[in-house]
Formats: sequence, C-alpha cells, structure tokens
Amino acid sequence: MIKATHKRLERINEMIAPHSEVLVLGCETCTGICLVGGEKEVARMAANLRLLNRKNGGKKTFTEGVVRRQCEMEFLDGAASLINDADAVVSLACGVGMQAIAEHFPNMPVYPGNNTAFLGLSPELGLFSERCVACGDCLIDRTGGLCPIARCAKHLFNGPCGGSVAGKCEVSPDVPCIWQMIVDRMMRLGQLSKLEDIKGIRNWKTNDAVGPRAYIREDLRSTPPKLDSVVMKPVAPKGGAA
Amino acid sequence: MQQSTAPVVQPPCQNECPIHQDARGYLAAIARGEFDRALEVVRETNPLPIICATICSHPCENKCRRGKVDLPLSIRALKRVAVEQGKSPPPAKPKAQRSQKVAVIGSGPAGLTAAHDLAHLGYSVTILERDAAPGGAMTNFVPIYRLPREWIKRDIDAITALGVTIKTNHELGKNVTIADLKKQGFNAILLAMGLPVSRTPGVPGENSEGVMLALPFLRSVNQEGYRLPPDKMVIVVGGGNVAIDVARSALRAGAAGVRMVCLEAPHEMPASPWEVEEAKEEGIDINCSWGPKQIIVRNGKLGVLECKKVKSVFDAQGRFNPSFYEEQCTLIEGDIIIMAIGQGSDLKMLPDMGVNLNERKQLVFDAKTMTTSQEGVFACGEVTTGPGSAVRAMSTGRRAALAIDGYLKGEKVVFTEPLPLGELAPEVVNGVKRIERNVVPAQDPALRVKNFNIADLGYDAVLGLKEARRCLNCGNGAHLIEEKCIACLTCVRVCPYNVPVTRNGKVDIRVDQCQACGICVAECPVNAIGFRMPGVEDIPQRIETAMKGSKQELGFYCSYDSYYLRGVNTQGMIGIPCLAKIDTKHLLKAFELGAERAFLAGCMDADCPFTGNLEWAQRRVDTVNSLLKDAGLGEGRVKMLKVEPDQFKNLTQLVAAAFQPKEAPKG
Ligand SMILES: Cc1cc2nc3c(=O)[nH]c(=O)nc-3n(C[C@H](O)[C@H](O)[C@H](O)COP(=O)(O)OP(=O)(O)OC[C@H]3O[C@@H](n4cnc5c(N)ncnc54)[C@H](O)[C@@H]3O)c2cc1C
Ligand code: SF4
Ligand code: SF4
Repeated sequence: MIKATHKRLERINEMIAPHSEVLVLGCETCTGICLVGGEKEVARMAANLRLLNRKNGGKKTFTEGVVRRQCEMEFLDGAASLINDADAVVSLACGVGMQAIAEHFPNMPVYPGNNTAFLGLSPELGLFSERCVACGDCLIDRTGGLCPIARCAKHLFNGPCGGSVAGKCEVSPDVPCIWQMIVDRMMRLGQLSKLEDIKGIRNWKTNDAVGPRAYIREDLRSTPPKLDSVVMKPVAPKGGAA
Repeated sequence: MQQSTAPVVQPPCQNECPIHQDARGYLAAIARGEFDRALEVVRETNPLPIICATICSHPCENKCRRGKVDLPLSIRALKRVAVEQGKSPPPAKPKAQRSQKVAVIGSGPAGLTAAHDLAHLGYSVTILERDAAPGGAMTNFVPIYRLPREWIKRDIDAITALGVTIKTNHELGKNVTIADLKKQGFNAILLAMGLPVSRTPGVPGENSEGVMLALPFLRSVNQEGYRLPPDKMVIVVGGGNVAIDVARSALRAGAAGVRMVCLEAPHEMPASPWEVEEAKEEGIDINCSWGPKQIIVRNGKLGVLECKKVKSVFDAQGRFNPSFYEEQCTLIEGDIIIMAIGQGSDLKMLPDMGVNLNERKQLVFDAKTMTTSQEGVFACGEVTTGPGSAVRAMSTGRRAALAIDGYLKGEKVVFTEPLPLGELAPEVVNGVKRIERNVVPAQDPALRVKNFNIADLGYDAVLGLKEARRCLNCGNGAHLIEEKCIACLTCVRVCPYNVPVTRNGKVDIRVDQCQACGICVAECPVNAIGFRMPGVEDIPQRIETAMKGSKQELGFYCSYDSYYLRGVNTQGMIGIPCLAKIDTKHLLKAFELGAERAFLAGCMDADCPFTGNLEWAQRRVDTVNSLLKDAGLGEGRVKMLKVEPDQFKNLTQLVAAAFQPKEAPKG
C-alpha cells in the first residue's frame, strides 16, 4: 500500500499562514493504515497546530475530520460540508487524496500534511519499506517474485553490480542486495536458469515516459470517459516483456 | 417484562461461585485501594460477607485463570480484606413491602440467605431455629479458631436489621407444626434444616464410653467451652473437613496428641488440601487407607482402635464402596475416639406433617422448582443437596427465595445458569508475567494449637492490594468497535499477549483472552478499541473536569498505586488503571486546555503486573514531548515518574524535583 510520513509541523504552519479556519482531514485507508492519517493522527496534528498557533498569538480555529478514502469523490461528498466550512484543508492522505480534494473542491486550498513516501509494506511494527514503483509492466516473474526496480539502487535488470558484497548493497550495510536475494530465491525455486535470458532494453513507456497515465476498463463502459491522462495500452516493449 | 435469553458470560471465578459473586469487581476495587467499593460489590450478591470471607471453601479459586499462569488469586482472603477494610453498609431494606409472610425453618447459611433475599423482595420473614443461637453449622460446629462467633453475629444482625425475625428455641415438630404455621398465616414455608446428626460407622464397641461423635463434640467445645481431661491421646476417624476440624479442635481442647484415621489415600481425602496441610503443621498424625474394624476396651477403659487395610474406596462405577484386606490389620492406641465420618438429616417429624420422605429417608424434593411434596412447602440447603459448603447452601437458599417469590406471585420461575469465559489460550498464558501468590499470614502453628484465637490472620491492606493486583481482569478489557476498525493490525502487533488475531481478513480482539493492559487502546490510530474496565473510556471527560479553573499542571497516577497516595492531595489528579492506558491525544488535550506541564506517576517496573506497560507509557511521554517541542512549547513538558511505593507520600516534592533542573520557558 501507499506509505507516507508527516510533514514537519513548521512547514504546515507556514502553508496555512493566510487562513483562519483550517480543517485537518484524515484518510482511513492507506495513510490510516500506515499510522499518519487516522482519526487519532488528525486529533494529534490538530492539537499540535492549535498549540503552535496559540503560542504565536494566532486566532485560527482548527476542525477535524476523516473520510474512508480521500481519493474517492463519493466519500469526499460525504465530508463536503466540513470541507466547505473551512477556508483551507490540511490533508493527511497521500498525494492522491490531496489532489482529489483539489479537483473536487475547485475553490478550496488544500495543503499536504503528509509526504507520500512509496508503495510498500510494514514487515513489523513501526517499520515501513518500499517494494514497488508502479512501473506499469511487472517483471518479477523473471526475478523470483522480487523487484529489482524498486529494490536495487541502480535498477539493474540482469544481475548485481560489483558493489554487492556478502549479500549487502554498497549503498548501505543495512540494505540487503536484492540481486543476491533474487539469486538465492531462484536457486531455491529451481528457476536459476531463467536468469540466463538477458533482458533487453526496457520500454519505459508504461512507467512515466509518456506523461500522466490512465487506463480504461472498456468492459465497464458504454461511452468513452473524459480523459485527463494518456491512456495506456498493453504494449510489447522491445525488451520482450508484456 | 421482556428478558434477554442470551446466557450471561462471566469470568470463571464468578461463574464457579455458587452465588456468582463478582470477584473480579471487588478485586479490582481492592487493587485501587477502594475498600468501601470492594465491600459494596461483595454485598451486592453476598448476604453473609464476613462468614464467607473467613471460612468459604472458595471454589472460585479452583477456576481462577491465573492458576494456569502460576497460582490462583487468593480470593477468599481478599474478600476478608474487603470486609475488614471496607465501611459500606449493607444494601438498604426495600421500600415496597408485600403482604405475604414466609416462615423459614433453620437459620444456617441456606435459611439466612433465603430470608435475606425474601426480605429484599418485600416479604415479611420469620426464621424458626431450634437452637439457642442462630447460624446453623456456622455457630454450632465450625471451630471458633476458624470463625469467631462475634463475626457471625455481625452478618446475622445485618439480616435482622432488614426486619427478619429469628425465633430461637423453636423446633419444627416440637414447638410448632407446618399446619400451625399455615394457620398463623404463613403463605409459604421453607425447610432449611441442614444435616445436624453425626453418622457412625457401625463397628463393634462404638457405643463404649470414650467414643464421641463429631458434631456433639464440636458443639460442646465451641458453645460450652468443653475441654478434654489431661494427657489423653485422641483418635479421629474420618478424612473430611469435619474430621480435620475435630482433630484440630481436640488439640486446642487439651489433647496430648491426635491421630487421624481415614479410608482414603492422601490424594483421595475429601478434606481440602489446605485444611490437611494446616492440620499437619499443627502436628496431627494422619493415617490414610485404614478402616475401623472394632474398638477394643481394656480394663473397662478404651484403649485401641483396630483397623483393616483399605483395598479401594470407590468401586468401578466411582461410587463410595470401600473394600478391605480383611487380614491386614493394625492397632492404633488412644484414649478417646471421635467419629467424624459424615452427617445426616433429622427429618423424622416431616411425614406426620404431610411432607414425604423417600425410601432412603430423604426429602422428596424437586430441584427445578425447589418444592417438596406439600403445596407451599419448599426446601433448600444441605437437607436437599447432602453435605457441601456454606456457599453452596446459600445458593440454594437464593433459588428457593426466587421460587417462593414466583409461587406467591403466581409466576413460573425458570432458573438459567450463566456461562464461564473460555480457557486462557497457551500463547496468552506465555505472555503473562508470573507474580508470586502472597501467603496469607497465620498464627504460628506451635502457638495457635494452644488457643482458640483465629488462626488465619488475613492480609493487611497493603498485602491485599498487592495480591489483588495479580488479578487478570478476565473479560474486562479491550473490545473491537468493528465499524471503526481499518485493519491496520497495530493491535495485533502491539499486544504482548497475542490477544488480537486476524480472522477471515478481519481483526478479532478476543475479549475472553484480553489481559486489560490497555496498550492497544492507546495505540489504535482510529479509536476503534473500546474498554470495559471503568476509568478508561472516560479519560477525556475527566481531563476536561480536572482542567477547569485554569490549572497549570495536570497529574496522572496509576490507580493501582492510589492506596499509597492516601494522605497525598490527589484532588484534580487523574487516576488511570495503569498508565499505559494514557494516549498521546489525552496528554495533548491537557496542554490544549491550558496545562503548562504534566506528569505521570506510576509504579516501578517490578511492581507493574503487566508486560511492557511502563515502556509504552514512557514512549507516549517521549512522543508528546517531541510534538510539543515541534510546536515551540519547549522541552520536557511531560515527565514520567516511577515511584517506590513508600515514596508516593512525597509525590509533590518528587514532581517539583522532576521539573526543577531545566524548567521549560513558558509558552
Ligand atoms: C464442622 C463443620 C465445618 C464446616 N466448615 C465449613 C467451611 O469451612 N466452609 C464451608 O463452606 N462449609 C463448611 N461446613 C459446611 C457448612 O457448615 C454447611 O454446608 C452449611 O452450614 C449448610 O447450611 P444449611 O443452612 O443447609 O444447614 P445448617 O447450617 O446445618 O443449618 C440448619 C439449621 O437448622 C436448624 N434445625 C434443624 N432442624 C430443625 C427443626 N426441626 N426446627 C428448627 N430448626 C431446625 C439447625 O439447628 C440449624 O441451625 C462445615 C460443616 C461442619 C459440620
Ligand atoms: S484472574 Fe481475576 S477475574 Fe480472572 S478468574 Fe482469577 S480472580 Fe477471576
Ligand atoms: S488491552 Fe492489552 S491485552 Fe487486551 S488486547 Fe489490548 S494489548 Fe492485548
């Protein structure tokens, strides 16, 4: 899922300087789950902003709200009166949710309370790690189910670099070399020979080379949608992946 | 009235108690030093609190879930703490009175409980007791070194204060009949006559001089101050609690020595293990697996009990049916033999009054309705169940009272039994901190056999508090508010006892397994965890109240330490049942409401019954300090104080000292 962290309080305070009625709006999905967007985080953030404001002699008021998913217009509609009553929103969602507010409430300033960090998981309490870059053309069938784009510092496709020492990446001794992990795993799976297929140059069109991406589920539509991004089609890139 | 048919689920201690006392509730109150409240909880279900606090056979302890971890809570001794330290009065007499009258025959625990309950239901109740003093076996037979008579009187006085009349020296069948009672206007009659007769084994020589029976012996020692002639060796026949009482009473009554003889092997003895242990401590010699064969009289004086070796006590069906090696015999020397092999009823007057007995001379009785063969005549206590414990007799008294109430109102009464919480799962047991059971202080065995003073001294308040803190608060902790849960799995990962689990893609906080530590409640990011134990969900309101009147400082203390805070002015401070239930949002709220600083005062790690709680509390203090620092409000505005029990009295100074070195600039 999407993982995020809080922005520094001072930064948020600067953003809301011109406003007097600020809504801190949380999201109960991805950022809720990574513990920066739920009801309690909203309360904490609002309390902290109030304290800072009071210390600075400010007269701002801060309201609090959460929606199930900030990235859904229907859920935002449910919070419309809360949003419209404010004169700015500090969003504790990810960048997607924040932009959903910006799009859905054209006259409402929205400010990021979080930094969207990456797509990842929480392997244990209090740790969040990146696993995927949403490249649009998943290749982990050929790398033992582990992604070298997300997890190799150099995004190497065909094995480790010379900096892989004793299973660690040269970037940091805390980071395992993903290529070591890939090789170990494929050995266990009896699929090591797959690595002998050299992967050619990748077509990065599915990633970000084309501009903002969109896709359409034709089976769910009878009329073409109003497009806002480049529609992605399954392509057979030169590298052979599809 | 519409009644819920769902069975009530109770902690195992409460469920096992025949009168379902809320042990968890009064233990929790004791743990917070609220002794008045503890006694109030006891009184809610128990009309004989002092008697039970002293001699109850405490079946609750057998089922206490801490028994799976180390040793059960010392629940009876804690009830004694409640009755000795608490000051709350018994529940007041109801205003609404009914016109009907009930006569109760016998003033033992069963009759007294029924009378108490009937009085609370508004009936006018008269107890007829054939003895000179009320109390049944408690008064007549239970040794005074286990239950001082003044204590029994206090319980009984509370019942007569409800308007119950006790007529002593009134014997059914002698002074009055059932027909007389009905003529006198009693609408229902309850037989609670107990088992007042000692049984005998039927061996040759048992009628010799020097052979006594348990109940008359106990009665004369207790009531009449009977003492044995000097230098007599006493043999007690029997292996139950009554036999132990006889043996220990004989020692105190001047026996040179006491030998017990019983059919059962040590592990089969019906006496409670702790009673056996106490008897051994006092030097009583227990001879197991021997049955009396004959009593041999020499020179006109009793001298020897001949016994035969027991082959087995129970038959293949598990029924009491002893068999012997007839040739394997032994002689046990003694001057006095006291037979303590069981008690029976004395109901011979009943058939003439139209109340039927069966072929075994037992009362014809229907336990579903508590009725006898005669309309309007009910029964309860040991006369219906056979020998057992006082508390079980009390529970039947309670049922009888309800049955009579139904009868007099013309309503059908259906008794439903509550269910116990499930067993503790092994993975939960593993996480629970082991805490030694506190030994209940007792008189030194060598000294106590020389007097009739109460042997068991009971816990003092401090020891009681320590013991009560061992309670696992079964079923009184966290529960999931499903519609708020976002399945972030934080609770699953923070719980030291593995209570929350995932099931079918959802989180399940297993209410019956929860240890009520509170860590998850404060860590849940969406407030999706509720808490049953009082004093947790209302923290925000209490902060608001405490912060009224522009306070500068807000203190939170662990309510488990509140006893140690007696004498310290805790007004305006907030007691929390373990500091790990404080959430960062609570602390920030205090600052929003104008606090300049806050502190958490709790116990030392070694005293905390929970696993990791103080660490979590500290973490929240650190988090809030860093948030406040970010808000430009200075550093170290919240302090966590771990206080030695004997230092709580100096709390004010400790707090001042904690904030002393680098007092943060005022925000
Ligand atoms: C020596 C001894 C020690 C015990 N120790 C314990 C212990 O430590 N803990 C525990 O839980 N239990 C103990 N018990 C068991 C406990 O005493 C009984 O379970 C309990 O007293 C039974 O209560 P009850 O009301 O049914 O009968 P009882 O207590 O026997 O009361 C019956 C009453 O009815 C009266 N009565 C009988 N016939 C008539 C009549 N015809 N007219 C008027 N009144 C009549 C009797 O005088 C008596 O007062 C002990 C029992 C004995 C004998
Ligand atoms: S731990 Fe406490 S609540 Fe649980 S069974 Fe024992 S006394 Fe009862
Ligand atoms: S209150 Fe404590 S024991 Fe109960 S589920 Fe939460 S963390 Fe676990």
